[in-house]
Amino acid sequence: MKRLKFAGLCIFLGMAMNQSLAVAAEPADVEIPQSPAAVRRGAEVITNVCMACHSLKYIKYGALAQLGFNAKELDTMRGGKSLKEPLVSDMSPDMLKEGFGVVPPDLSLMAHAREGGPAYIYEILTGFYHKPDGSVDNHAFPGIKMPDVLNFSDAEGPAQRGPLEKQARDAAAFLNWAADPHAAERHHLGYYVLAYLLVLTILLYFSKRKVWARLD
Amino acid sequence: MSEQDKVDPERRDFLITSTTILGVAGAAGACWPLISSMNPTPSVKSEAVTEVDLQGVAPGAVHTVPWRGEPVFIFHRTQGEIAAMEESKGGKDPQPDAARVKNPDWLVVIGICTHLGCVPNKTAKGWLCPCHGSIYDNSGRIISGPAPRNLDVPPYHFAADDKIIIG
Amino acid sequence: MTNRVIAWIDQRFPLTSFVKHELTEYPTPRNLSYWWNFGFLAGFVLVLQIVSGIFLAMHYKPDIHLAFDSVQYIMREVNYGWLLRYLHAIGASAFFIVIYIHMARTLYYGSYRAPRELLWWSGQILLLLLMATAFMGYLLPWGQMSYWGAQVITSLFRATPWFGNDLVLWLRGDFTVSDATLNRFFALHYLVPFIIFGMVLIHLVALHAVRSSNPSGINLADKDNIPFHPYFTSKDFYGLGVFLIVLCGFVFFKPDFFLEAINNVPANPMQTPAHIVPEWYFLPFYAILRAIPDTLGGVVAMVMSIMIFAAMPYLDRSKLPGGARFRPLYRLAFYVFIIDVAVLSYVGAHPPSGVLVDVGRVATFVYFATFLLLPPVSILEERWLRARGLPPGLETLVVGEDDKVGAEK
Repeated sequence: MKRLKFAGLCIFLGMAMNQSLAVAAEPADVEIPQSPAAVRRGAEVITNVCMACHSLKYIKYGALAQLGFNAKELDTMRGGKSLKEPLVSDMSPDMLKEGFGVVPPDLSLMAHAREGGPAYIYEILTGFYHKPDGSVDNHAFPGIKMPDVLNFSDAEGPAQRGPLEKQARDAAAFLNWAADPHAAERHHLGYYVLAYLLVLTILLYFSKRKVWARLD
Repeated sequence: MSEQDKVDPERRDFLITSTTILGVAGAAGACWPLISSMNPTPSVKSEAVTEVDLQGVAPGAVHTVPWRGEPVFIFHRTQGEIAAMEESKGGKDPQPDAARVKNPDWLVVIGICTHLGCVPNKTAKGWLCPCHGSIYDNSGRIISGPAPRNLDVPPYHFAADDKIIIG
Repeated sequence: MTNRVIAWIDQRFPLTSFVKHELTEYPTPRNLSYWWNFGFLAGFVLVLQIVSGIFLAMHYKPDIHLAFDSVQYIMREVNYGWLLRYLHAIGASAFFIVIYIHMARTLYYGSYRAPRELLWWSGQILLLLLMATAFMGYLLPWGQMSYWGAQVITSLFRATPWFGNDLVLWLRGDFTVSDATLNRFFALHYLVPFIIFGMVLIHLVALHAVRSSNPSGINLADKDNIPFHPYFTSKDFYGLGVFLIVLCGFVFFKPDFFLEAINNVPANPMQTPAHIVPEWYFLPFYAILRAIPDTLGGVVAMVMSIMIFAAMPYLDRSKLPGGARFRPLYRLAFYVFIIDVAVLSYVGAHPPSGVLVDVGRVATFVYFATFLLLPPVSILEERWLRARGLPPGLETLVVGEDDKVGAEK
């Protein structure tokens, strides 16, 4: 009886959890390594390539120091801007809207704002291809207004695609960091908290048993 | 049964006591993030340091800049004013002028009257507070009036001859 | 020294007698199972939400131009802000998990039956207050799902006859969900948890007046009650430990599990997301709302689907004590209900198209049927069980007209 009830609960929870699974198509099993080196390389891709049009208004230049960049590297990335300033594209929203028809979205949270997360970002960057009429479209986002920034549609074969895929992976890794800069700290603290709770709960269990043993 | 009582209560109390202590310690530890969240954030702390460019502040002029929400007077003193200040000891809160400046050409003081917090106005001889009439000299020292202390000097240093950093 | 202080207080305030009567000597059935832990857990989560909420409120800005940014400020700049935010967001889901299990326990074991009706109804009020609080709280981050969820649900009040439009205008403070709405939702979201707190105290007073039911559904003899402390305090704390492990597992390692991705996009009144989905705990009711083609009908059905719980003490007409323990048909109805709620959740989570529309309508029908068929089913079941022969001992416990359920004769 108890097992049945528990099963019923599991079904309920499973059904409820289903709603958080992607309604849209799920990207293929793309692995985005989240190493500090990848995130650092990704930061360079973003500041050199993507920030021509995109901003990351919730990330300040000073925050990039956490990724291990030294003062000189930071100076190159920020140009004349102060460390307190956020990563904002040099082109104004009006210019961008004129050029693309839509303002390119801010990337601070992009890795968390789409189903598929960083894998989806990778799919977009490597999804560009030439249509029969010569124009460029994107597998992951048909009709996308973003140009093929990595020139992926012209790359053929693993020798040419390899480095571009790496850039895309690194960019996705950086955006994953940007969406959640405290992830490492959170996991670190989490291990200690869960270890403490495990020990405490075991002690609480035996305490409960000792107390209840007083009953005849 | 009585032997058990002698051994078991001790063990049980030890178990329950240590569990309680561990639990209370955890609860206390859990309070730390709450308290810490009320501390100034990195953004706020970065605003606590202000760079000031000294170019364009003519001798005899006062440049007022905000720092941590308060006005700071940056006074480019003339030679005559410096000499007069170095001779005098001040008023009820005596202090040599040299102790109040890093470079005698520049006086940097917090522009808040030490009486009740109003912002004094510049006069030829120093400052006059409009609220209750405290008078300060060109070294920011209290000369007359109800204010008890000289104008406070904030922490600052010269990053270059023409740039100071307050905070 | 402590004893002298306590003695001083006791002369002026019933401290020791109150603690003894309500906690340390409070008689509790010794056979309570772990399903009885969830009331305590609910109280804990309430405190967790209030504490995390107050500290969040020190940094949150309830202005449509500042709200989303202030949440990012909390997540990125405020010391342990990310922890406060995740605790609060996941705590909300945890609150509903705990409450739904708490309600399921009550339904299964028949703990809503006389003389516990007021206990059940105070719980019903608590459920409504919790739902209101959660609904208003979800608007505060001002993301796409926050905005559009609030837009859709506040629009429902238009279905009210005669003054529907004025009502919506009054609720929102504007023609659409806007700054006026956000500000008042923040004020109320801060307030209602304290009303909940007061209601919880009433709920506990009601509980202590009639005492806990137990898995057998039959009032135990006095000798089979044990003091709440230290037996159930130790058991509650152990349960709390298990609960915290699960909660912190999510908070530290999978905090986005309950959060909709699209809510990381700032609210855009000009563009609706492809799929508007309420938080999981509202899904069954959302499915019922959509199942009825008529707007007013859908709203009425949704409201009734929540309010109908209140009728349980009168829908269940069996004189056999307790809930599902001795009653196979009631037990079956309970499981059907649980599975039906799961089906409704699935339907609510997906766009209403194809076969899901019919599934949703059937599931809505089944939902109300499990309640409304209970009177005849419970009477027939009782007749059938009696004809079959009741287990020995149960005969004497069957309730008469004046007796409390399960009281020994």
